[in-house]
Amino acid sequence: MTQKPLLQIRDLNVAFDTPRGQIRPVRDVSLDIFPGQIVALVGESGCGKSVTSLSILRLIPSPPGKVLSGKIMLDSRDLPALPEKEMRKVRGKEIAMIFQEPMTSLNPVYTIGDQIVEAVMLHQHVSTKQAYGIAEESLREVGIADPRRRLQEYPHQMSGGMRQRVVIAMALSCKPKLLIADEPTTALDVTIQAQILELLRKLQRETGMAILLITHDLGVVAENADVVAVMYASRVVEVATVEEIFDHPLHPYTQGLLRSVPRLGAAEGRLESISGAVPNPARFPSGCKFHPRCSLSRQAAASAPAEQTVEIKTVEETFRVLKICTTVEPDLREVQPGHWGACHLIENYEGSKVSLPVLNHRREVTANAVAAEREGAVVVEVLQGKEG
Amino acid sequence: MSSASINAAGMNSVEPARVEKRRSWLASVVHHALGRWGTRLGIGWIALVAFCATFAPFLANSFPLLVRVDGRWSSPAVIHLTAVDFTLVIAAASLLVLIRLKKLPWAIRAWWFAGILGMTLPLTLFAVKPPLVSGYEEYRDLKHEGRVQWMLSAPVPYSPNDHLTDQFDFTHPQPWAPSRSHWFGTEQNGEDVLSVMIHACRIAMSIGFISTGIAVFIGIIVGGLMGYFAGIVDLLGMRLVEVFGAIPTIYLLLAFCAAFERNIYMVMAIIGLTGWTGDARFVRAEFLRLRGQDFVHAAIAAGLPLRSVLFRHLLPNALAPILVSASFGVAAAILSESVLSFLGLGLPVDAASWGRLLNQSVGQGGGFHLWLAMYPGLAIFLTVFSYNLIGEALRDALDPRLNPQ
Repeated sequence: MTQKPLLQIRDLNVAFDTPRGQIRPVRDVSLDIFPGQIVALVGESGCGKSVTSLSILRLIPSPPGKVLSGKIMLDSRDLPALPEKEMRKVRGKEIAMIFQEPMTSLNPVYTIGDQIVEAVMLHQHVSTKQAYGIAEESLREVGIADPRRRLQEYPHQMSGGMRQRVVIAMALSCKPKLLIADEPTTALDVTIQAQILELLRKLQRETGMAILLITHDLGVVAENADVVAVMYASRVVEVATVEEIFDHPLHPYTQGLLRSVPRLGAAEGRLESISGAVPNPARFPSGCKFHPRCSLSRQAAASAPAEQTVEIKTVEETFRVLKICTTVEPDLREVQPGHWGACHLIENYEGSKVSLPVLNHRREVTANAVAAEREGAVVVEVLQGKEG
Repeated sequence: MSSASINAAGMNSVEPARVEKRRSWLASVVHHALGRWGTRLGIGWIALVAFCATFAPFLANSFPLLVRVDGRWSSPAVIHLTAVDFTLVIAAASLLVLIRLKKLPWAIRAWWFAGILGMTLPLTLFAVKPPLVSGYEEYRDLKHEGRVQWMLSAPVPYSPNDHLTDQFDFTHPQPWAPSRSHWFGTEQNGEDVLSVMIHACRIAMSIGFISTGIAVFIGIIVGGLMGYFAGIVDLLGMRLVEVFGAIPTIYLLLAFCAAFERNIYMVMAIIGLTGWTGDARFVRAEFLRLRGQDFVHAAIAAGLPLRSVLFRHLLPNALAPILVSASFGVAAAILSESVLSFLGLGLPVDAASWGRLLNQSVGQGGGFHLWLAMYPGLAIFLTVFSYNLIGEALRDALDPRLNPQ
């Protein structure tokens, strides 16, 4: 397949100036998004996934933040270098974004109609009347009952789920090529989460747009993503197709994440968790940033000669890890065809080549899944009735 | 069909609870503020002052509203109207009509009002040429001579600059205490106090609104830019605010009034140009708080230009504290003008102002004239108090912790 990627992020570095020195929440991040693909960016809070997504649209508050280096190519334009005027045409029209908190992502002083129409009229040269028509149509598309009446309402008159639908309608009203969804379901309760994701997937199929899905919810990833990039402490540590990531996770962090997801039927007592906490971006550890929490490195150190290991003392415990993990930062290498990882302990890592993670993959939609989605859609409609 | 009707019924049952919520946020704030009797009294008094300011020549005028002299009908009061008088009356009339046109959105009504005002003022300035005042006693003399067959006078039949030269009485010098013909008495030049007070409403209204308008305008621009861009802009802006905040307004006013010709517009400009620092701080703080919110990010992410982000999305959300500070600012401006006039500076000598009447309450011979201190003092007090009441009510209504919603 020789399709051109829609968005290419190349060696992106973002820095924030703080009173206690510069911190760098995003380092050497590379990512490709192809048209019609859903790419999930996964990681714990503070790993840099939101900053990555914000820097695509140049929404990082500046000062204190700035893009140090790297390219973000949309078609053939480099977004960080684009003049502000050109950038405004990209925002909303080519790349749209929806935010985590639907309670605050709508302006409380305007009706939702006013807010959608403003964006529509900015990017599509239509009359006010036509713009209201488009707004009404996009509200209908996201499954809001009685859209004409809803256009006249203020955000505080709606529930969280409805607001997130409105936010999606607003983002999609100008038919963007790429939608950045920054934890679109985190602030919603579980039943509404399922509806919103189903809606996003449906709209994605209908319009053929690409979605960059930022999330820490692996369930969401498993159900929606085509390609998964796992971020840990400012770096991408593993990239693979969604099937690969869930079947054969290679990076110890990804393995840890998957082990800490509760499974039905697996009654094993306590749920496993990754020990320790995400390091503070101002004091990242040397070498591989995951080594203080890495179980794989500890296991390897137990059987390795003493001169290849290093002792680490923390308040809680004392343990040994491999020396290489504390000294050499692993690059992202293609350890298996179509599977990139950044860990010294992955099999044949040393022999693999450093390369850019480019994966033009779509998940297979089985007949079963489609049926399940249809069933889901029925549930959604029933729930919608309740919500209204 | 049946499910639809069930749905509709379900919605209807929810509806009554929502009626209260069917307002924009700002409208609900105004509604809450208006619910207090103190605010209503304040607004009532301000409305009275505004009414007096608009219709002053019809309320207090030496020239009769309608008169028949030697068999000829005329309306000397209307003939002597100035361009400003005309504009105010037309503005009031159009305001009444526009408020009645409930179908038009508020924004369009505001544009219409601005348009009418913008058209009327130059037109009247060009077209209305009142005759030079020959003598305020003209119609009193005519009546005395018995040539007036019928006359409808203004409720207060004296103009503010009418020195009652025809009623000069060596044995009973001005100022005269309140009497049946001069309800609030007269001041030292013989001007009727009530008439002066009615005409002084204009200065009280305009000095408050124009100087506060200037202050709020500068405050929004400077504070908005500081809050939105933060960083170095904020740093420089705050130093500018500190510099302007350190200027003692009253001394600046005194110095300018002593150095230049007395001019009310200069007073307004100085009060406005030195008074914006508080507004700028408020706007800055609000913008700093709001710029990190998702809806601002969403507005930028939608590709809206900076102008729209700043003034359409941030400003209305930051308006609340500005409204409060503006209503206190109006009160402060009125007080400043009164202080200046009391000191005998600021306004031209013949301008009708409450402060000037206060100034006259201490006679040249050292006597104290109570009515010259009490009535204008009461007017100043009530006006300032009213604006403070309104400001206070707005502040409470804006405080979400006190708001039941």
